Amino acid sequence: MNFSKRRRAGLAFVAPFSVLFLLVFIIPIGYSAYLSLFQNRLIGGNSFVGFDNYAKLFRDPQFWDGAIRVVSFTAVQVPIMLLSAMALALAIDSLRLYGTRFIRIAVFLPYAIPAIVATLMWGFLLGIRYGLIGSLNNALGTSFNPFTPETTMISIGVMVTWAFTGYNMLIFYAALRAVPRELYEAAAIDGANEWRIVRSIKLPALRGSLVVTIIFSIIGTLQLFNEPKILTSLVSNSGITSYYTPNIYAYNLAFTGSQQGYAAALALVMAVFTIAIAYIVQIKGMKNVFDK
Amino acid sequence: MSSTSSRARVAPLRTPRRPEGKKLHFLSSPKKSPVLTLVTGLFVVYCLLPLIWLVINSTKTQADFVSTFGLAFGDHFALWDNIVEVFTFQGGIFSRWLLNTVIYVVLGAGISTFLAALGGYALAKHDFVGKRVFLLTVLGSISVPGIALAIPQFLLFAQLGITNTPWAVLIPSFINPFGLFLMWVFSAQAVPDGLLEAARIDGAGEFRIFFTIAFPLLAPATVTVLLFSFVSIWNNYFLPLIMLKDPNWYPLTIGINQWNMLGSTAGNGALIQNLVITSSLLTIVPLVIAFLSLQRYWQSGLALGAIKD
Amino acid sequence: MRKKRIGAAAAILASVVILSACSAPDSSNEGVVVPTDSPLTLTVWSWDGTVKDAVPGFEKKYPNITVKVVNAGSSIDEYHALDNAIQAGSGVPDIAMFEYFSLPYFAIPGKLADLSKFGADKLSKDYVKGAWGNVTLEKKPYALPSDYGPAVMFYNQAVFQQAGIASPPATWDEFYDAAKKIRALGGDHYITNDSADIFLLMSMIWQGGGRPFSVDGTNVTIDFKDKGSKAAVDFWQKLIDEDLVNTKVSNWTDDWNRGLNEGTIATQLIGGWLTSTLPERAPDAAGDFRVAPLPQRQTGGEIGSENGGSAMAIPEASKNKAAAYAFLKYFTHDAGLKIRVEKGGAFVPNLSVLEDPEFLSAQSDYFGDQKYNEVLATAAEKVGTGWQYPPFFEWARTAYADVAAPFYDSRQGSLAGVLQTWKEKSVAYGNEQGFTVK
Repeated sequence: MNFSKRRRAGLAFVAPFSVLFLLVFIIPIGYSAYLSLFQNRLIGGNSFVGFDNYAKLFRDPQFWDGAIRVVSFTAVQVPIMLLSAMALALAIDSLRLYGTRFIRIAVFLPYAIPAIVATLMWGFLLGIRYGLIGSLNNALGTSFNPFTPETTMISIGVMVTWAFTGYNMLIFYAALRAVPRELYEAAAIDGANEWRIVRSIKLPALRGSLVVTIIFSIIGTLQLFNEPKILTSLVSNSGITSYYTPNIYAYNLAFTGSQQGYAAALALVMAVFTIAIAYIVQIKGMKNVFDK
Repeated sequence: MSSTSSRARVAPLRTPRRPEGKKLHFLSSPKKSPVLTLVTGLFVVYCLLPLIWLVINSTKTQADFVSTFGLAFGDHFALWDNIVEVFTFQGGIFSRWLLNTVIYVVLGAGISTFLAALGGYALAKHDFVGKRVFLLTVLGSISVPGIALAIPQFLLFAQLGITNTPWAVLIPSFINPFGLFLMWVFSAQAVPDGLLEAARIDGAGEFRIFFTIAFPLLAPATVTVLLFSFVSIWNNYFLPLIMLKDPNWYPLTIGINQWNMLGSTAGNGALIQNLVITSSLLTIVPLVIAFLSLQRYWQSGLALGAIKD
Repeated sequence: MRKKRIGAAAAILASVVILSACSAPDSSNEGVVVPTDSPLTLTVWSWDGTVKDAVPGFEKKYPNITVKVVNAGSSIDEYHALDNAIQAGSGVPDIAMFEYFSLPYFAIPGKLADLSKFGADKLSKDYVKGAWGNVTLEKKPYALPSDYGPAVMFYNQAVFQQAGIASPPATWDEFYDAAKKIRALGGDHYITNDSADIFLLMSMIWQGGGRPFSVDGTNVTIDFKDKGSKAAVDFWQKLIDEDLVNTKVSNWTDDWNRGLNEGTIATQLIGGWLTSTLPERAPDAAGDFRVAPLPQRQTGGEIGSENGGSAMAIPEASKNKAAAYAFLKYFTHDAGLKIRVEKGGAFVPNLSVLEDPEFLSAQSDYFGDQKYNEVLATAAEKVGTGWQYPPFFEWARTAYADVAAPFYDSRQGSLAGVLQTWKEKSVAYGNEQGFTVK
């Protein structure tokens, strides 16, 4: 009918978003890629070095230290968090809990807390001398320290899981609520018990949201920055270095070390890596979500 | 007859038979389990413990904070004093920070949600040149760490003369790729093509169709995106940190961070941990209120927007 | 109106001529023509809260000038912001605050204005030698000192008495003995804490006569093996080895506050400016803390060192340098200084203040009525000279934390080894950045 008019309308709809997107994302990314081709020196200014920064990056043990750390962290924390979120969603959906409204709100609340506040709270709570752990240690005679170089990542994992489980739980819960009740009734009539229903109906219903939450959790966790950065001024001897995660390393390179080109190269490499992982998960997960 | 019987196993029954007694009891009114509640309760404690810590310590004076146990109350109950001091410290800058944050959130969440709705709807219901590229780029942008963008954005905005102004914080907040994604998925599911076609046949223009038909249908998703955008902008930390150097334009997160750094950097910055904690409490109260009051909307929004297999 | 302007200009010209004829030192803005007709706004970046106290007096003197004092971040956060602003070419303040160690980084590449153009070099005699040395590069001043941190020893007298120590240790050997007695109190009692605190180590090396950094333009030499450095490092290694120093607590953390409060950290070897926040950090120890000079290498020695302190400089990119200098001088040297000291409690390296009897007799209940400023003033005047910071100290400081933390955490390796690794990294970084470092 008026398809060309429809097409133009379509463009008009996305135009405001696109213009801002260009300004806020495309141009800066382009500029970032441009910067990554230069070496910055305090004396002597900037000089074009082609892909040297990237070559240097792959030889940089500090980069690998941080990269391996976040990848391992992600590989452990994301499954724990998502499994907890799923378990919670299933528990709430089972209608077998007292006070589900309260539980939903309580579990979701951590998501609303800003990172600075959350890290402060956990930093104090986990303090070995005067926090909760300190008192537990005194009571039980142990001397567990949640902020040693060996345990700091666990503590950070506790913080990150705390912050995001509720959010993921709600996504799963919403997916569960969308399952038509008749499916349950039909299954029950056929003799299925509750566990069977969970396995055959509820879990498959979560597959779609699981793929989405996995992707976004991986993306977010690989970018770990706020918690370690704020913790450095709160706790001693935690093992947090200036290259603890790739994002922290990039930040210190750019601001403390005045090596913006190198920092840009690092950030772009991490971006490509993250996109690749997200793409792989999506391929292996659901195909039809993105085919619409 | 035969078609009905072959579908009898899974199809919804047109004449719902009353389920037999106990067999389906666990569906309609299952027995509450104290054990399950207890186990879930442990998780709830985990979630609420830091917040309880926050509330308790907001009632302590600075002296009490240094000398008492974390989860116990201090010798003096100073919540009101702390709140007053938060609002009067450094010439009342906290109120300014609060106002700034409200502005950033209202404008940022409002405009970004609107743009996401426009774009998501178009992705779902319209065809246009470069649609796939657009979608992939926007989704890919979520994976790009903020660090990669921060300095170039800063340099770009400096060229435009808007660093150290609220625009430097607002403009990036107008882009919400995840919101666009949600609106796209939701539009595809919740807006029937038939309705749109009927309106077109009646001669309505595309924008008119969007505003009068589609937008109301998108309400649960809109509220969800709005709310998550609200939280995200309220808690925005890294970008304002780089863009703003005038405390008069700081949002609350940067202000609190600055107060905290006063006492934790070498030198004679004031030690005002009690104010940092109390201001943190005050900062999250509006968020909590927003969430509690808009519960109904975002829970249904997430429900309808959920991806189904 | 015009007549008035000509009259004013003539007066300034006349005073310049007269004043340059006599060589008596004075505090007028010689050679500085401050615009007095059109309205002007000065932006000052400072995390020091006492600067704003000087603003009303200055604005009264120059009614056309408005001064905005802004906290653009503490320490390294502000240096990042300044670098960003200079690079972007906008938002650069007219005056910015710098800790002494960060000045070379900005001064050497020419990011700061040379203040001798405004006559600042005439002010050298008005400050303690250590402070003036910190703000000059190749004999030209790039900043004016705004506060000072002579390294002193804060000690908890009550804890000392409990451990059987009659008087504060005057030499490092006595400090070692005192450390053993306090450790013998058991529990978590230590004479002091140190967890990769670079400023503590530098202040001890400084006091011992070590000068590990020497800077000549863009040539930098780093050597921790000179006699003074080695002596300080070996001594501290001994204390760490014998578990006489608490290596689990870093300064400026909550644990540190509580340690000082409870007395499990008995002393602090730190800048004198701690007098302003110690009462907040350790309220329960009120009346117990006293101040004493840093222990010496030999009995009767009197060499001090620094731990912290800041200066204010004018970025080269500022558009109001003359007016900025007027304010800078006002609050670091002239009438504004007194206000900052009295109202804000600032500790400054100006001899006019340090030799003022009223200042010297200041007392407080917290320090048990000790005239602590006497100790601080003496320490300030005795700071050893010749110390230099490398021009990439902010980077080096971050790198130090990376290198030193594992040592303090595990005690594997040695402090000397840490410094050697740090030197190697600094050499690599400095050379890469275009300096010549060896």
